[in-house]
Amino acid sequence: MSMKAILVALSLFILPLFARAAGAPAAEPAPSGLPSKAGDIFHIGPLPVSNSMLVTWIVAAGIIVCARSANKNMKEVPDGAQNFWEWMVESLYDFLEAIVGADLVKKTFWFFATIFIFICFTNWFGLIPGVGTIGWGHDTADGFEVTNPLLRGGNADLNMTSAMAIIFMVLWLVWALQSNGIWGFVLHIFGPKGDMSGVMKYFMIVVFFAVGFIEVLSIMFRPISLSFRLFGNIFAGENLLEAMQRVVSHPEWAKDLFSVVLPIPFYFMELLVGIVQALVFMLLTAVFTAVICMHDDDHEKHAHH
Amino acid sequence: MVSPMLAEMGGSIQIGLAGLGSAIGVGLVGMKASEAVGRNPGAFGKVIAIAILGMALAEAIVFYAIFLGGK
Repeated sequence: MSMKAILVALSLFILPLFARAAGAPAAEPAPSGLPSKAGDIFHIGPLPVSNSMLVTWIVAAGIIVCARSANKNMKEVPDGAQNFWEWMVESLYDFLEAIVGADLVKKTFWFFATIFIFICFTNWFGLIPGVGTIGWGHDTADGFEVTNPLLRGGNADLNMTSAMAIIFMVLWLVWALQSNGIWGFVLHIFGPKGDMSGVMKYFMIVVFFAVGFIEVLSIMFRPISLSFRLFGNIFAGENLLEAMQRVVSHPEWAKDLFSVVLPIPFYFMELLVGIVQALVFMLLTAVFTAVICMHDDDHEKHAHH
Repeated sequence: MVSPMLAEMGGSIQIGLAGLGSAIGVGLVGMKASEAVGRNPGAFGKVIAIAILGMALAEAIVFYAIFLGGK
């Protein structure tokens, strides 16, 4: 396996462990239904392992195993699993090339494609029956109630989404500095853009300098917005499914029937939301990278040819 | 006379207002997307990609209000 693949696998496996140990920001719990803090299953030494972390490990291992086994005997004309992976990688590559440009996509494709595939399959894994319903609990009047499930949707945990957003911000900084250099990076944020001359130029320098501070604020907000968007969508989706199971409670004969039938259209919506949120996360990170790394001198380069 | 009425209101005004803005934003994106496809049916793929992106971004504001708001 190449160095990059090992790095990505390590970061996806290990980083949530430390983010979890550092303590999650305590969002207030939903009135009834899914708690926003994922419960711990077991401990590795002093570090707790939560049920959503276990899900991310299972999904990552599943993706790696499927991808490697599909590529075992590579055929010239692919079919079956190899065809599926080739289609996915090629579509993502063309899609990202249109957004970030041909030079940048070679450097950054590994991250965007991994983010998309991983988030999409983690979201879909949370919809499998048994995730969130099998686990430890206690007996209540209505039967057995599960309070600490064994498996829970991976992105319904704020630690996971924050980890991915923070990894992206670190990588964004690295790519921006590689692309612009330190002075070029500062100039990109604070410097005047466009051509001016005369007294307007000095006035606009002051204006752009002030705008740069607002830009820095908006850049600092990005990891928060990325993580909360994904967390909110998936957590709200799981809450919605649980609420739909509980909606009909009066006629005894209808209670069990509707608790099965009513969530079905919402499962389809959650399938859509899963892939849309993966797409949005990937697109936003790609656009942020493109904005900081692509310049007008790319047009000059084309003009020279 | 107004304050007893206001005191009876339950729920969260903050999340309500954020939800209002978010829903109107998503609806506007959908409206313009259907208009664009109606004008140029061949551009359906490109339009729907941008529309889904715009809807997801507009919808995210209400999540900030729910989880990042006070109390």
